Amino acid sequence: MKTIDLVERIEGEAKLHCTWSNKKVSDARIDFLNFRGFEYILEGKSPLDALVYTPRICGICGQAHLKATVEALENIYENIGQKLEITKKAKLLRQIGLNIEIIDSHIKWFYMFIMPDIIKLDTQDLGIYTPLKGARWLEAQKVASETIKALAIIGGQWPHTSYMIPGGVMCDPTKLDLIMMQNYLQTAISFFEKSISGVNLEDYLSFDNINDIDKLDCDLKYFKDLSFKYSLEKYGKSYNRFISLGESKLFKNEKNRQKIVNKLDFSKINENSNHTFSINKEENNSKKHTWSKSVTYNEQFYETGPLARAIVSNKKFIKHIHENFDDSVFTIVMSRIDELAFLLFETHKLISLVDISENSYIKPKLSLKDISFADGLGFTEACRGSLLHKVSIENGKIKSYDVITPTVWNLGPQYKNQKGVAQKAIIGTPSIEIATIVLRSFDVCSVCTTH
Amino acid sequence: MITKKPTVVWFTAISCNGNTHSLLSANSNRFELFLNSFDFIYHPSLTIDKSLEDILNQEERIDFLLIEGSISLNKEFFTLCEDSTFNHLNKLALKSNYIIAVGSCASYGGVHSKFIQNDDICSINKAINEDIIKNLKHNIVNLTGCPVHPEWILQTLFTLKAYGKIALDEVGRPKELYGSLAHHGCTRNEYFEWKVEGNFGQREGCLFYDQGCRGPMTHSSCNKILWNDISSKTRVGMPCIGCTESDFPRNDMLETKKNIGIPHEVPLGISKRAYLSISGVAKTFKIDRLHKKLME
Repeated sequence: MKTIDLVERIEGEAKLHCTWSNKKVSDARIDFLNFRGFEYILEGKSPLDALVYTPRICGICGQAHLKATVEALENIYENIGQKLEITKKAKLLRQIGLNIEIIDSHIKWFYMFIMPDIIKLDTQDLGIYTPLKGARWLEAQKVASETIKALAIIGGQWPHTSYMIPGGVMCDPTKLDLIMMQNYLQTAISFFEKSISGVNLEDYLSFDNINDIDKLDCDLKYFKDLSFKYSLEKYGKSYNRFISLGESKLFKNEKNRQKIVNKLDFSKINENSNHTFSINKEENNSKKHTWSKSVTYNEQFYETGPLARAIVSNKKFIKHIHENFDDSVFTIVMSRIDELAFLLFETHKLISLVDISENSYIKPKLSLKDISFADGLGFTEACRGSLLHKVSIENGKIKSYDVITPTVWNLGPQYKNQKGVAQKAIIGTPSIEIATIVLRSFDVCSVCTTH
Repeated sequence: MITKKPTVVWFTAISCNGNTHSLLSANSNRFELFLNSFDFIYHPSLTIDKSLEDILNQEERIDFLLIEGSISLNKEFFTLCEDSTFNHLNKLALKSNYIIAVGSCASYGGVHSKFIQNDDICSINKAINEDIIKNLKHNIVNLTGCPVHPEWILQTLFTLKAYGKIALDEVGRPKELYGSLAHHGCTRNEYFEWKVEGNFGQREGCLFYDQGCRGPMTHSSCNKILWNDISSKTRVGMPCIGCTESDFPRNDMLETKKNIGIPHEVPLGISKRAYLSISGVAKTFKIDRLHKKLME
């Protein structure tokens, strides 16, 4: 057995154990050994304080947690028959903020977390991609920091703003603010065209055929060439089953199993702790090896994330890549970058739809503190996939809070005799380097996985 | 004259990585100047040449040790490279010239210390062996904030590089960064002066009276050194939640605690009597301009 501590260049840390047979990984296990207990922390707190706590689950996807929290709290009003009116403007400003955070994350992940490992398969000289030194790496930092300014215009700062609140948003941007946001996004659009894809954004978005991958230039061409040279289109395949829970203009809420799309039934989502450590020491046993839970839909594992979203929302270019290369590393990375292109275009458009004359916020008539018993559910599509928050209130305080993150869907441990999604993807890889790249392809965020 | 660039090591303990992403969101010219002026030899998310093991085993001294996250001796809840964050921190601290807590978790324990089922989560100050602290050339610097502003990190590092020392307040924060209040420079100050209450979702009005704004009680330069170069929470309409102070996170952060309509806490260093007298006078004048929308 070979074990590596993956401390570097993921969000947090993970431990990967691989068992080998015939020079291939025959079994794999992923441990997340850090637990911060956010669900326990939230117990007994005032409901609105969750808006401050949950973004702090994760420094890279805090706005997704914020959005899930605010929607779970608003769902409480709905469940007691007092549905809040949220203006279109407020809904747009929430989605725009989340999109900008996903754009920032996708750029950083590609250049900081996955490309260095892929290039290292080929050469030790990372050249312009060298962390902290290479021109392209520095350009990626610059573009990420410029892009996130668009979010600071409505959130005041990033990371860790809590500008969404039941009833709407706290900000009230002016027309000039909206123009500035589009200006900042333009930096990322130019970067996508000049450095990432080498293709004009609109031309890229018209790609609908597998042969279009030959039109890619610049970094995506480099990535594609390395992928085919080192068979990344063959490795990393898992169940080929996808789920996407969040509803927004961008993503359809569906799951996809062998091309049959059904409506989701939330009661079929099940969390399991058979292999998960407990905070009560006496409940721990030799089967338990990670702080991550596992989550299944109708007793089966599903993959979530940009690839799942591309499949359920029927994006042709990625669907064709997927038809040829399944859910391989190549397909997953391409779907993340494809989503980046799509989000840049869509978010720019969403900003122009904001009507500044509408209200940002309509104060709820009832305070959450005055509610004796109620439950709420919030779900959203975060950077790494579907995110679910469940909250119960008792006598105006949080009685329980449950968070199911995208990385639990993808990186959680075995359930009954089924391997977890990433576990299954790693089995069959020919080297620890490839196994690590497969793990990285899921955009590992250990802080979200265990929370 | 060529002098060796000072080395910087970033150790991530119990954290959300928010301070890392804050650093990565720094002004890119400033970030590049930092990379050119220091030898940033290790950061778990960014560097590639060395692993944490390498840094733990190396004999050379570290000029600046930056720590993100709170610390625990409990390996059941938190293990990193087979050991506790407590032991790793002490190993690193022993060979460091300057130690800087980056963010409120490293400075005070922060959000993570609210996880009471793991009751030994603490700040780096409490975790580092007393003898190590005694032998440090400079007191531990606490750059508080959840997250810390990237400029606060860069300005502190450049100052220490140039002068070897930086003036600290009684809780170890650089005086020049934390001497004034988040309130200073807030674009809503005029509303505060004339006691014009605000509401969420508006550019007008002050968030101190109902929305729980801690600006007048919180040491930080959030409204002087703007976030992401352009704004701050209070400017856009989100109340200050006091994240640079040791009592963060408090309860009921998005509302103002009041007794018969009077804020339970008044601006720092101002007696309740003084505050009430001034407020009473201010409220007797209805200033039309301040009760109108900025733009109709």
